[in-house]
Amino acid sequence: MNLAVVLVALLGSVWLLAVIEGWTTTGRLRLTATLLSGLAYLGRESIVPRTPDRIFFETAPVLLLIVAVLGAAVLPLAPTLVIADLATGALFINAALAYVLVALIMAGWGPNGAYAMIGGWRFLGQLIAYAMLIVMPITAVAMRAESLVTTVIVVSQDGLWNIVYQPLGFVLFFIAAMALAFRAPFDLPTAPGELGGGVDAEYTGVRLAVLRLARLTLVITLASATTVFYLGGWHGPLLPPWAWSLIKTLAVAVSMLLAGRYLPRIREADLMRWCWILGIPLALLNIIVVGLLVLVVP
Amino acid sequence: MYAQAFFVAVFGLAAIGFGVVVFRTSSMVRSALALLFSQTAVGCMFLAMQTEFLGVLQIMMMATEMSIMAIFMVMFMMDPGGMGGMDMTHQKRFSIGAGVVAAGVAIVVAFWADWGPVTAEAPDAAMQTRALGMELLGRSMLIFETAGITILTAMIAATAVAIPVQTTANSADKEDTE
Repeated sequence: MNLAVVLVALLGSVWLLAVIEGWTTTGRLRLTATLLSGLAYLGRESIVPRTPDRIFFETAPVLLLIVAVLGAAVLPLAPTLVIADLATGALFINAALAYVLVALIMAGWGPNGAYAMIGGWRFLGQLIAYAMLIVMPITAVAMRAESLVTTVIVVSQDGLWNIVYQPLGFVLFFIAAMALAFRAPFDLPTAPGELGGGVDAEYTGVRLAVLRLARLTLVITLASATTVFYLGGWHGPLLPPWAWSLIKTLAVAVSMLLAGRYLPRIREADLMRWCWILGIPLALLNIIVVGLLVLVVP
Repeated sequence: MYAQAFFVAVFGLAAIGFGVVVFRTSSMVRSALALLFSQTAVGCMFLAMQTEFLGVLQIMMMATEMSIMAIFMVMFMMDPGGMGGMDMTHQKRFSIGAGVVAAGVAIVVAFWADWGPVTAEAPDAAMQTRALGMELLGRSMLIFETAGITILTAMIAATAVAIPVQTTANSADKEDTE
């Protein structure tokens, strides 16, 4: 039952996000446009490039979708509305999202195309930049909750959300989440206008439809993770818990979209430099500050 | 119990299967990712044996490590795509012999060793995580810290070696590229 409800919520959120993305791009609010263009993808020819690595080419879009859904499986919408309330939930989401890299390397290597391959390997460099900024802020979140269980993490924010308790961690995690979801300004693996679509370049038809769906699902999963770790999850007045979770998740996802629309694409070397010279020391500082707060403040 | 043994066996066979693929393919990326999925299957074996933390950790760590290995293999091998028909194996007889002997020893040890009584019920996952944390920060702390410092030293040394020595010639190159 939980599985069905969470999957419907995930799909619904993806659809709303796609509608909002279309709205901000074209200026027109069309509720059915994304569904129609999704259907149109299914009707188009899905071309297989010459001498591809067929296994990677076919697996990559599906793997990306699976890991995005697996990541969402440990994130609660309400106290009991979670697919798998694992004892290692906060670690599990890292494990699932680590395979985004594997999927993108497959999508890059598989089609036997130069742009795609550069896009795929670029994401490996991007991971070296953002990975620590995902893991270290989550460590500080788990320190406050004294647990890796995601529902316990939400309960630990009753009264004071982590965005107030550890704002530095929130900022770092938000930026790193955008880099993980390879949204602008961190869309280096796809880089429209520069890499001709990068990892997307050789995909068409139904395969591209799965890839696009997977990307949007990934954004929703990361927005949901931000909600659970920093924005108090289901906590909120008047409305039912699941409604708060969905509203916050969508708000985070839309803010990721908007941040991307107004910022220029960052260079790979600059991303690496800023993440390692500034980001990681700040993440360590965040862990120390949270550690002191946990020990000193009752 | 039987279901558990079944899943351990399935993931074990998957790990061996992917392990074989590592050596059967000529593509470096396929080889690296086959090794990744072999290790992921080992992680799934941990999960089937109810050691949640270790399983999830194994599955997480391998994704990044094997991907990084893939790019190094692509950089340094002469035929990374495996489409040039190059034979990249060597010392075949010796390696087959060594492999068979090692497998034989492992099997003998597995059957002869006294593994102690089988645990009737595994402690719940949260307790395991706690116990592991206590172990890492207690008895095993020195070992892990030593390993950590060694790896850090190697990383710093590798970075130091990789930084080019500034000479007049290559500083001029640098200005050109920038």
